[in-house]
Amino acid sequence: MKTTHGDVAARKKKGPGALATAYLVIYNVVMTAGWLVIAVGLVRAYLARGSYHGLYYSIEKPLKFFQTGALLEVLSRVFLTWAVTHSVREVRRRLLFYFHFEIIIGYSFNTSSWLNPLRYTFFFALYPMGVSGELLTIYAALPHVQKTGLYSVTLPNKYNFSFDYHGFLILAMVSYIPLFPQLYFHMIRQRKKVLGHVEDYSKVE
Amino acid sequence: MFSAVEILDAKTKDKLCFLDKVEPNATIGEIKSMFHKSHPQWYPTRQSIRLDAKGKSLKDEDVLQHLPVGTTATFYFRDLGAQISWVTVFLTEYMGPLVLYLMFYFRVPFIYAAKYDFTTSKHWVVHLACMCHSFHFVKRLLETLFVHRFSHGTMPLRNIFKNCTYYWGFAAWMAYYINHPLYTPPIYGEQQIRLALVLFLFCQIGNFSIHIALRNLRPPGSKTRKIPYPTKNPFTWIFLLVSCPNYTYELGAWLGFTLMTQCLPVAFFTLVGFIQMTVWAKGKHRSYLKEFRDYPPLRSPILPFIL
Repeated sequence: MKTTHGDVAARKKKGPGALATAYLVIYNVVMTAGWLVIAVGLVRAYLARGSYHGLYYSIEKPLKFFQTGALLEVLSRVFLTWAVTHSVREVRRRLLFYFHFEIIIGYSFNTSSWLNPLRYTFFFALYPMGVSGELLTIYAALPHVQKTGLYSVTLPNKYNFSFDYHGFLILAMVSYIPLFPQLYFHMIRQRKKVLGHVEDYSKVE
Repeated sequence: MFSAVEILDAKTKDKLCFLDKVEPNATIGEIKSMFHKSHPQWYPTRQSIRLDAKGKSLKDEDVLQHLPVGTTATFYFRDLGAQISWVTVFLTEYMGPLVLYLMFYFRVPFIYAAKYDFTTSKHWVVHLACMCHSFHFVKRLLETLFVHRFSHGTMPLRNIFKNCTYYWGFAAWMAYYINHPLYTPPIYGEQQIRLALVLFLFCQIGNFSIHIALRNLRPPGSKTRKIPYPTKNPFTWIFLLVSCPNYTYELGAWLGFTLMTQCLPVAFFTLVGFIQMTVWAKGKHRSYLKEFRDYPPLRSPILPFIL
């Protein structure tokens, strides 16, 4: 598809308005700062305690605050932290590593579109890492969920309703099979589009 | 004095077809048939013909010489994709709930524990619920065959998968709990069930009355649109306050069924259906207002004075 200078200029004008851009920048700066705070808090707590025990509680409040913010962007990440780690102690440790590494990298890239080439290339590795991290975390939590009947409702009850959280988690894991490739290829397409524009600009110069 | 018609692809602007010697009083429908001859894979119902590449579709009834075109008319074509008739979709999506619910009611094997196979519930409300649910879908099937007069002949093929998943999925989910061996009957017993049944029946009659009234607005085979008004049937007097009382009554019927079965999945189904019907009602209300200057101002889309 050929693009002329006029086309590129027109496309430039169509981007998000000033207010939206300001919001996105502030949002991403705040998110990066927040996750950095949590990461720093983790390191300090580990150094103070000398072990992983109780690590979660030291950052629980800021963690919860920034999680709710992230809900706007990536629902699956919130689901993972709240639903799985909030209740399943053994899994928290494992989660923290995958989760925060990915989030910090992700949000720091969002603060500037100039970092887009990096962002869109790093994701090649980060996405599979993040997804396998999530899958492993859920899988590790399964026995505990089954044993305690966490978030599950059984018959009989007056609402004539039941819910098996264990089964639901397995379904969630299976749903990654069709969903992950779609997300991954969407990012690849986005990357071609965004980095494609960058190449156009430099050609025009 | 003949006209010529050229048909271009709306996206690529490629010339797809040139028809010379077209009668000026030819309709878009006839032009679609002619286009179909040169492109057999695009049957008329999947053709969208417009004056403007990004504009609205022209209607089959539009006449060539009444359109703002010269002696050679240029139309743009967009492929609507594989189509399926409304009647086929409705019959398929309603057959599912009817059959599936009965399978759960009769406790066909592999649903519940083996010792319950082919047993019946000891609660009489479960039998009543089965009768109501079955009656509802038989009514829908018969209305599809004998009452409704559809504006469009077809819809995109993918809709049948989407719609059937919705109806069949929810029907199975509801039926599983209502017919379950561990089902708990309504808290307030006979009082609750009687009230629920009255509400349900009232709304079934109401919904049917509206369907008949809407049918009578439109002569057979026509696609005319008129403002619906209350008739001698008291169930239609709700037209004074509401644009789409068929949806109002449908909501009422499912509220009745929810109350009757006291089952949370039924409540979810009612809620989701209500949201969808509200979207449809608002759209219909808006097109009534756009099309008719003298549309009664007191009417709301679906809930009197509220929504």
